Formats: sequence, C-alpha cells, structure tokens
Amino acid sequence: MSILRILLLFVLSAALWSPLAQARTATADIARIRTGIATLEQVHVRLDWPKNADRGTLQLRVGKLNAPDLGYAFRNVMWQCPLQRDGDGGWRCEGELLSDGLRSAGAKPMRLGIDLATAFTDVVLRQGEARLEVHRQAATPDDTRIDLVKVPLVWSQALLSRAWTEGRWKTGQLDGRLVVSVPTNQPLRVSGPLMLAAAALETPDGSIAAEGLGANLALDYRNTANEQRVDLRGTLRGGELLFGSAYVALPPTPVTLEINAIGDASGWRVPTFLWGDGDTLTTRGSAAFAPDGSVRALDIQIDSKDLSPVTKRYLSSWLGGFGLGDLSLTGGLRSRLRLDAAGMQGFEASFDRVDVKEGSGMFRFDGLDGELRYSAAAPVDSAVRWRSGQLYGLDFGASTLPLHSADGVIALRSPASVDAIGGTLRFDRFQLRPPHGEQGLQANFGLTLDAFDIGKLAQSMGWPAFRGTLSGSIPDARYVDDRLVFEGGLEMRVFDGSVKVSSLAMERPFGVAPTLSADLAIDDLDLLSVTEVFDFGSISGRLDGSIRDLRLVDWTATAFDSELYTQRRRGVKQRISQRAVQNISSVGDASFVTSLQGQLIGLFDDFGYRRLGISCRLQNQICAMGGLESIGKAATGSGSDTSGFTVVQGAGIPRLNVVGFNRQVDWPTLVERLEAVGSGELKPVVQ
Amino acid sequence: MRRLLGVSMVAAVALTACVTINVYFPAAEAKEAAKVFVEKVINDAIPAPAPAPAPGGGGMAFEAPHRGFDPLMLIGIAPAYAQSQPDFNIQTPAITAIQSRMEQRFDSALRAHFDSGALGFSEDGLVVMRDAAALALKDRVPVNSAVADENRDRKAVYREIAVANSHPEWEGQIRSVFAKQWVDSAKSGWWYQRGGAWKQK
Repeated sequence: MSILRILLLFVLSAALWSPLAQARTATADIARIRTGIATLEQVHVRLDWPKNADRGTLQLRVGKLNAPDLGYAFRNVMWQCPLQRDGDGGWRCEGELLSDGLRSAGAKPMRLGIDLATAFTDVVLRQGEARLEVHRQAATPDDTRIDLVKVPLVWSQALLSRAWTEGRWKTGQLDGRLVVSVPTNQPLRVSGPLMLAAAALETPDGSIAAEGLGANLALDYRNTANEQRVDLRGTLRGGELLFGSAYVALPPTPVTLEINAIGDASGWRVPTFLWGDGDTLTTRGSAAFAPDGSVRALDIQIDSKDLSPVTKRYLSSWLGGFGLGDLSLTGGLRSRLRLDAAGMQGFEASFDRVDVKEGSGMFRFDGLDGELRYSAAAPVDSAVRWRSGQLYGLDFGASTLPLHSADGVIALRSPASVDAIGGTLRFDRFQLRPPHGEQGLQANFGLTLDAFDIGKLAQSMGWPAFRGTLSGSIPDARYVDDRLVFEGGLEMRVFDGSVKVSSLAMERPFGVAPTLSADLAIDDLDLLSVTEVFDFGSISGRLDGSIRDLRLVDWTATAFDSELYTQRRRGVKQRISQRAVQNISSVGDASFVTSLQGQLIGLFDDFGYRRLGISCRLQNQICAMGGLESIGKAATGSGSDTSGFTVVQGAGIPRLNVVGFNRQVDWPTLVERLEAVGSGELKPVVQ
Repeated sequence: MRRLLGVSMVAAVALTACVTINVYFPAAEAKEAAKVFVEKVINDAIPAPAPAPAPGGGGMAFEAPHRGFDPLMLIGIAPAYAQSQPDFNIQTPAITAIQSRMEQRFDSALRAHFDSGALGFSEDGLVVMRDAAALALKDRVPVNSAVADENRDRKAVYREIAVANSHPEWEGQIRSVFAKQWVDSAKSGWWYQRGGAWKQK
C-alpha cells in the first residue's frame, strides 16, 4: 500500500502544482511495480483536478495484478474515485472497482475506498454487506491487518487453490481478523481467527465435499520459497463432510479440530491432527499425502467411549456400500490403524462390551470384548470373545477366538468352539487375509459340527418339525470372490437313517439372494416317521434316494435332480394309508389304475405296496416327474413322453397302483399343494 | 460359414440319427429376455397386469408349450428341445424377486439421477456415479448406497440367469448382453460408457 501512497503523492504533486492547464491533469505510466505481496504491471494513473474545486477525479488502471503468494491474479483492473483531502494532511478516495472476471452477473457493484492518512493506510473493499478491510500502520510497515466481515468464501478461492488445487468453494461466508506479515527476508505469514458460516466446498470429481459447515478456527499459515505450513485449530459447528466413501454428519455439539500440515513439492505431511467429538469419537494421528492426493502414510488412533452415534454420524456411507446400512453398535472401542502406500500395515482394536446388530436380522453379536490385532509383518497375538449371537435367526453361544497375525494374515491360534443349535460348532482352523491391492477378502477354515439339533434348526427355518442331529466335518472351506466352497461333507442323522450332504457351496453368503448348492444322499430313512412329520398320512417302509445338484436361492429350491424310492428290508412292513394315497393323488394329479373301482378305496384303511418311487428333476420352475421306471436312469427332461409312470406299485389284495400322467409339473403349484396337504387343507376328490 | 456348418450338422444328424447338443450362447433369445427384463425395470411404472393364471387348465399339470412340427420327426428323431433350442429362461423366483426390487429402486432412488446425469451405465452392465457433483451432498450417501445395492443385485441377476439356464459359464456373455440392453433401453439424455469414455444418449 505504500506504493499507492507514493504513486498518489507523485501524481498529486504533479497535478496540483502544474502551471500548464486550467483544469489541471496529471498522468503517470509505470511499466511495473513490485511490492512484498503483489506485482502490478502496465499501471496508468490519471488525476483530473478542476481549478478551485475541492476534489479531483482519480483514475487507476492496472493491466495485470499478480499476488503469487496469495494466488490472486487480475487483469484490467479499473478504479475511479473522487479524491479529497481528509483535513489532516491525508487523502481519501472511494469508488467502483472493475476488473475482468471480478464481478459476476447480477452481483452488487464492488467498491474500493482508500484512506491515505499520515499515520495509516486503510483500504476497504465492499460489496453489499461483505467488507474486506486492509489496515496498515506507518509504524509497522511489515504487517497488514485484514478484517473480514461476511466475506463470500469464493473471494478466498485463489488462496485455497494455492494450498489445494482441487478444492472449490461453492458458498459460505467468512469473518475474521488476519494479520499478514511480510518481514524482509522472512516467510509470508498469515495468522488470526477465522469464522466460517454455511460453508460448502467441492472437488471437481465430487469425491471430497462439505456443506453447511460452520467453524471457529485459528489459522497460522507460513509460506517460504519451498514449503507451506498450515496450523489450523478450533471447533466445527454442524454441517456435512464427505471424503470419498466416508460421510460425516457433524453433530450440533462442537467438534474439536486441530491440523498441523506442511506442504512442499513432495506433497503434504500432517505431523499431527486431532478430531474430538466428545465421547462419540476421538481421532488423532499423523498422515502424509502425495501431490495427487493419494495417502502415502496414515497412523490413526480412533477411540470411542460410546459407539451408538458412530454408525449414523460417521459410518453410514461406508456401511451402506456393503449393504449394512442398518447396522447398530453400542459399547466402546479403542483402535489404531496404520497404512502406507502398499496398504494396511497394522490394525489393533480393543472392544469394550460391544453389541453389533444388523437391522434385517442377518447377524448379531452381544458382549464383544477383547482385542483384535492384525499385522502385515511381525507376528502379534490377540483374543476376541463374545457372550452370544445370532446368524440368520440361529442363536449361538459364547466363545473366545485366540488369534495370531503375521505377514498380512490373521488366523486362529488354536481351535475355538461355539455352542449352537443344541450342538457344538468347532473352528479347527481359520485364516483370513483382508483385501489387499487388487485382491478381495480371502478366508479359509476347517469346521466340525457336532450334534446340531435338527428340530431347533427346523423351527428357526420354518421347516416341518424334523427331529434328529446334524454332524460332520468340513476340513477345508474357502471364501474367495464372494463364494464359499466346502470340501468334505456333513451327515444328518434323521428319521432313523442318514442324509449325507456333500459338494456344499455358497454364493454371496452375505449378499443378494444367497445361494446354497449341495448333493444329498438319502439312506434308509424310516418312511413312517417322515410321513408323520409331514402329516401326509402314513406310509411304512424304508426310504432311499438322492437329491443331486440341489440349488437353493434365497433358501428356496430352484433346481435339483432327485429320486426317492423304497427299499425292501426284512421285517419291515410296506403299507400305505388311504389318506396318503389320496394325498399323493391330489398332489401329483395321478390317476388310479386299480382292479377296484375308485370309490372302493374309501372302504380300506391301508394297502400293501411292493415298491414306491418318484423322481423329479427341477429346472426352470418345472418338475420333470418320473416313477419307478425311471429310478436309476437319467431323467430325459423331454416332455414328449405321454405314457404314465408308476409311483406306487401295489401288492396283495386289494392291489392298488398309483400312476401319474403329467410328467411336466409346475413346481410352485406342486409346492403349494404339498403345503396344503401338510396343513390338512386339501380335500381330494376320489373318482 | 455358420449357415454351412448348420446344414452339415443337420446332415450328420440325419445320417447318424443322434441328437446334437447345441452349446452356442443363444444370443438372440438372451437379448430378447434382457430387453423384457431391462424395460420392466427402466420404464416408468405402469400398473402391473394381474398375474396370469397358472398354465395347464386345472392348475395342476403344466402343459409344455406347443412347439410346432419338426421335419426331423419324420426320420424318427425326437428333437431335444431343451438343448437345441434353448428356451432362455429368466423367470426364476429369485430373479423375479430381484427384478421387482430393482424396479422399485430405479423409480425411488435412481431414475432422477440418471435424468440429472449424476449416474450412468458402465460398460460391464453396472451403474456408476458419473458426476457426483450433480448431487446435493445429503443425497450422495443414499444414492451411493442405492448404487451399491443395485450393482450387487445386478451381479446376482447375471449370475443367476446363467445358472438357471444350466450354463454358469455364460455369465460373462449374459452380462455383456445386459450391458448393451441397459444402454439400448436408456432414455435419451442418459449417460453410458463406451470405450472408456462417457457418451450421452
């Protein structure tokens, strides 16, 4: 500003004492003026002072104005004002300021006023309610005080861009009182309080954004030839922040913020930062960013005494991306995460009575305690325990997982058991590799199931009241690419026989339409107990068979290739009740081929049978049915066979055969009928 | 070339009297099925027609669709329809359930942002955030999570269609057919990716 003073004095002296003109005019053209902050080029000053008038007209034109430290550059700056004496040896001038790109369409005019007193210089830039005042004292020539009153944040865009190329202010107001010091041979320094109101900013790709942000901050900014230092501390008061997939809805209570950052050609280093949101979340640590904004290093400590507001306030976006938007947390957490350019180096979390609950009921953990430690290098041990939990509606009990981690893998130190469904589930081993670079999450484990109560399982899954136990061992299960593949098999001891389950696999076990596929081998089931459970009437005998290529989507069967048939055993009666015959008929739309008249069936309670067999190959919602003839042969799947198939081959007198004719049966209708039989709603008509 | 091959295949069938199994990806059927699927999701909500009564008259038996006369029948070859003329099926209960969820989501959470240009169709048959800046900050979280849900559903649909048609290896081809169909059925003004660049329909 001292330059202005010199300029003005020069022009004034020329104009006022020039003997040449009536209306005295002075002009000056200066190619370049340098100051500590700004460089002015192509400067043209002109003063017209009519004879005997108490004021003149000052006109200033600047072709280029650059303030590189502050990031400002203007072209064709034009300012015209009436110049008067202030009566105390100084001068005053105020008028409209014009410049290329300075004033957007429809905005109020921008006015610049200058007071050149003997002891100080005041410059006031105003537009509507916004005022930017620059005060300088002749006694302290290195300091400039800048007062900001309701200044639009966009005015500080250039300053922001210098520190952060991508950042764009959208709206917001700034109040503050800054001191800009430019001591000779010392760094430029800007310091003082700043208050942000309704601030909004955004990067061009939308990855970082803020809206409605309020803040009371103290800024200390220094700029030397090769580095910038920013020290920012204060409180945030409400608003929303978005960093990539992290969305923060700031609470109405103040959040403490402290950032210490150093920027140079190699990017930004943040030796310390602090985020203090009361008991909800305290985050402190250090970070380093490459010039392109990518994280080079991060060491962050995240503590929460009360996790319950954390999901809504800090994790909603991130969890939503995993389809867990409905997750709720309570309890306390202390954790530390270390990242470098290669990925996660270490993670430690210590849980204090944490309850985790997924809103749709997919899973739940109660009373999670202990520590979880992950290391990408040196080995570390930890242990996590919980009191109880639930997975897909099935309760499980307390357990402790002793963990070991090294070289980017976290694993069980020793087998861990969980009581579940009346039996025990034991993890013989478990190994997990978190997502790393391009690779997604990988896990593999070995399981042993001991005596699960099928009755309880059936009850929670809404199945008929099966009774029995489920046991087995899965020596190797792997989870890769959202697929869970089990080697080994399970055996269900049910109905006095067994069902062996093999080739088990799941797709999207925790995702959309979870899919389960398996092969089932059915051996020597007591058919009487089976029919009792299904309330199907009664059939005595032993049942064998298989269900191959079973595929359940969303726990509903969509495909299988099954055959069920009786196996004659010594000492086992083979009888079928009248009700079971009628149910088979009504479900299968079978007709009777019998030596008796159909009406006569009603006269007998039950019938002897020789063999009973049915096959169904389900695909595309159609069950391709077959009877005894097709057992052991591959199903043809062709709908062209119009001959009947025998489901029940009678024995003794009265001899009754049940023959089906519809080989292509609509599966949903079949299921509907089976359900109706089970609930006793179906009343077959015997012809 | 394909036509010639087709002819020679028929000749071979006639001579050896065996049934050939066609494992070509049924591109035309897949495209037709994708079109029906996509348009149901994308089109503005039209009151759904009452569900058609189950086929088969009595409700029990399923009547195989009439398949017309096949000249091969004359030489005693029953055509194996299931293989040689794939009935490209996408109507399993799981797929239908996902489809109706996608339809709802499209209307409630995605359509407006396709209109505004915030969202676009990616080359691999998914939805991506094209211009997050077009969304108010408060909308970005729910839209991002709707996009994540949508893409999970889409991946499941492509996979399930392949599996439902007994050809899990078709997943990639089905995905490409759908990727093209989302764009073909897109309203004008919506954005899509081609060759790595964004284009506006």
